[in-house]
Amino acid sequence: MNAKVLVCLVLLLPVAGCGSEETTSSLGDPVKGKAAIAEYGCGSCHAIPDVPGANGRTGPTLERIAKRTYLAGVLPNTPEDMVRWIRAPETIDPRTAMPNMAVSVGDARDITAYLYTLK
Amino acid sequence: MTIRTRQRLIERIRKRVLIRLALGLVGVVIAMAVGAVMFIFWGVYNVSALQQHTEPVYTVLTTALDRSISQRAEEIDVPSLDDPAMAQQGLIYYRDKCVQCHGAPGVARQDVGKGMTPVPPNLAHTASNRTPAEIFWAIKHGIKMTGMPSWQFIFTDEEIWEIVAFMRQMSKLSPVEYQAIAARVDSKETAQTEEAEASSARSGTAPEVLPNADRGRLAMYGYACIACHRIPGLVGPQADVGPPLAGIGARRYIAGVLTNNEDNMVRWLRHPTQVDPLTAMPDLEVTERDARDMAAYLETLK
Repeated sequence: MNAKVLVCLVLLLPVAGCGSEETTSSLGDPVKGKAAIAEYGCGSCHAIPDVPGANGRTGPTLERIAKRTYLAGVLPNTPEDMVRWIRAPETIDPRTAMPNMAVSVGDARDITAYLYTLK
Repeated sequence: MTIRTRQRLIERIRKRVLIRLALGLVGVVIAMAVGAVMFIFWGVYNVSALQQHTEPVYTVLTTALDRSISQRAEEIDVPSLDDPAMAQQGLIYYRDKCVQCHGAPGVARQDVGKGMTPVPPNLAHTASNRTPAEIFWAIKHGIKMTGMPSWQFIFTDEEIWEIVAFMRQMSKLSPVEYQAIAARVDSKETAQTEEAEASSARSGTAPEVLPNADRGRLAMYGYACIACHRIPGLVGPQADVGPPLAGIGARRYIAGVLTNNEDNMVRWLRHPTQVDPLTAMPDLEVTERDARDMAAYLETLK
């Protein structure tokens, strides 16, 4: 019994430990996100650092996007809203030229995780 | 023989002393450079706005400022400033934009003009100690690191001369006289404002001059664009509030909502909230001409 509690505590420790980093990484896997970016073809419209062929000039460059104050120029830049924006941009700004690419929640979280590595 | 050996000895000693002196000098220069770097790096210098310069530093800075302005003011042709209508219009601008930091006869400056270094001068004093050309130059171009902004993208040259005309009058007004004039202007102000708006609308709809990319680049400083955007060719805080503008000339959309062409860029720069009501980019009251010039500069960023 005691041992079980101990194991639970040890397992929970990293979750409880580092608050803010945990929220970011719980968003998804940046490595998968980078692959998903290539798959959805984000780079045909955006320049994205370290994504091969991502040099589009339709939308803004995503360099240092993690440091950007505003998301799409209309919302404070938070991971939650980034996921929302990637999945359904038209719900955030009906006038945006960014199309809804039917990105799954999991992929959007992974993509967000990758974008938040761009500082 | 002995004289020769002595001479040689003296020569050798002189050389040695010279080499040591040179080495010592190099050492001092290096130590000063290291000291200067450390002074900056360790944050020794106190940038607090209430930490006044020492008297000698203050004198040096003020002299540099005075000389810089008077040199540049020499090339300015001063128009006649005697028309009372000029001063009256100048008073309206003065109360709108200057009194906040500089005050007026018997009128206190607002909080923004209090805890500053250098302190915004009392302009009744300035007006009686400076030439009209010097005052005009300082208003038009602003003064770096003093808090005095450049007004050239807000007022036309004619409007700045009106402010100068008023300031010259102000230096001869008692607080009571100033209040009386201000009250008289208050009753007329509604009509005057309408007229001013009509005149600014006129200047807004006359893009007779060809767009000037260099002027547009300066306007980017004048409208504080660099506070939010990284713009190639401009030095600034390199902040990522909005997107970086590198390559904006080749971008297909403006703000993700408008096709990127000259007219749309001008529209966006002048009235961003009309183009996209949700945008965080504020309406900075950019004139048509200034927006055309800025668009011309942005167009060069491929």
